[in-house]
Amino acid sequence: MNMSARRSFQMVLIVTFGLLFVFPLYWVCISAFRPEDDIFRYLSPLRIWTFLPNRVTFDNIVTLWMSPFARAIFNSIFVAVATVAGGLVVCAMAAFALAVIEFPGRSLVFTVMIVSFLIPFDAIAVPLYNVMRGFGLQNTYLGLILPGIGNGLTVFLLRQFFLGLPKDLREAGLVDGMGYFQIFWRIYLPLSVPALISAGLIMFIFQWQAYLWPLLIAPRTDLKVAAVAIAQFSSAYDVSFGVIFAGAMFVSLIPMIILVVFQQYFTSSVASTGGKE
Amino acid sequence: MNRRRNLYAALFFLAPAIISVIVLRLWPALVAVHYSLLAPRATSYSFENYTYIFGDPVFRNSLWITLIYSIIVNPLQIAAALGLALLMNNRLPTTGFWRTLILLPVAIPQSVSAVIWAVAFRPDGLINAVLAPFGIGPQPFLTSPDQALACIILMVSWVGVGYWMTFLIAGLQDIPKSLYEAVTIDGANRWQRFRYVTLPQLRRPLTFVLVADTVANFLVFAPVQILTKGGPQGSTNLIMNEVYTRAFLQGDRGSASAATVVLVLLVLIVVLVQFRLMNDSGEQSR
Repeated sequence: MNMSARRSFQMVLIVTFGLLFVFPLYWVCISAFRPEDDIFRYLSPLRIWTFLPNRVTFDNIVTLWMSPFARAIFNSIFVAVATVAGGLVVCAMAAFALAVIEFPGRSLVFTVMIVSFLIPFDAIAVPLYNVMRGFGLQNTYLGLILPGIGNGLTVFLLRQFFLGLPKDLREAGLVDGMGYFQIFWRIYLPLSVPALISAGLIMFIFQWQAYLWPLLIAPRTDLKVAAVAIAQFSSAYDVSFGVIFAGAMFVSLIPMIILVVFQQYFTSSVASTGGKE
Repeated sequence: MNRRRNLYAALFFLAPAIISVIVLRLWPALVAVHYSLLAPRATSYSFENYTYIFGDPVFRNSLWITLIYSIIVNPLQIAAALGLALLMNNRLPTTGFWRTLILLPVAIPQSVSAVIWAVAFRPDGLINAVLAPFGIGPQPFLTSPDQALACIILMVSWVGVGYWMTFLIAGLQDIPKSLYEAVTIDGANRWQRFRYVTLPQLRRPLTFVLVADTVANFLVFAPVQILTKGGPQGSTNLIMNEVYTRAFLQGDRGSASAATVVLVLLVLIVVLVQFRLMNDSGEQSR
């Protein structure tokens, strides 16, 4: 095979796989704009109208936004943003101490902290639920947010980044009579914006995905997050498929847009946690 | 004086994280151990809950299903991710765009993916429609004990493969070009270049992805709860679903806690390996 034939073949494969992966999402989006009757009508046998809607309606979208779903989307956004804000404070401070300040037992604290946070908290969701209910945090935003603020990957990522900054920065700050807090706030944080964005992105996606924990801690209707609301739509008999697809479309589009916009930060976080040589 | 100042500063910076670790991780873990050792009507600690769950065919089946699932899903996803990474690691125009398309599903909540695939797996759904032109008759999918686990594996792979591919592409881009040039001069063909340069050079990212993928797949819950509820006939009763069923559907705190402790111990072993890999590479890159 000559070079350009091989190139063309490779390109065909790339496009095929790309389309295969995106096809379910495409199908969700076109179904969201279809009248209920059409969603399954044109599936089999496959024809052009399987892939293109021949009738377009906005009814599903309107029904969706009139339902409690609007509140669920708000809850998801609020919880995810609050988690990113709180999580960045907690994780960046911890990472700073673990990277910059020398104190006895540092590597032990580092190990215990990263290992405990790396265990996905779904694993301890059941006992955590008992603990949080004991604090009266059932059916509260705080109960939804708190478990997301400690994130092992985030602490690790930020510590790696801080370690990569020159040690002279700290010394210069100390000589100038700055305290550690000023060194953190005025020197390290402004230099770490890309790493903070990567870390925030990880926590946002993580919290947007959460399903088991919100299901347990906040079952009340007005506190439901979107990931839970959609799943419960799908088992309710009075909700149509068109509306479910419309909901799935919005819940997917928000994190997808964020991922696409910040993709370079995502890729760099992958590179620094992924076991590079 | 300086040491004491450092210690106080460290305490100040670490306090929120240390409190979070204790309240959100260590204390609940202790609570689980406590309840797991406290038998239903016993007044003292015993291993009754553990002997009960390990004697229970439902729990044993759940461990077995989790094992089979892990043995299939992890190598499968990594092989697919590696294949895609090799295919997508080039400078052809628009490759970046197609790469992004493959990565997109990871951003979607698993519960939403499960709802989408639940409709696709319906007897009159998308997948049977796509199979029909190939002469494959309607398949039962989620209602068949033989097919349900495979359906879940397909769904979680759709979600995860693009994510792991991104790690492997980062690894591929780290391989020095000179290595390929050297073996090409020695007359190595494509396969030999892959076998003797790419694979050994990718060892670390591949190991990392294997470990991180194992942790992620261990706790799959939303797809199981939404698609099959562990059925049919327990064929998809992965361990997280088993713990959830015991705790919240059966209200059996003792055995749910024992199952949680078993789960945490299993995850802990894998996480310790993951931590070592992350840390080793961290030390080296400094």
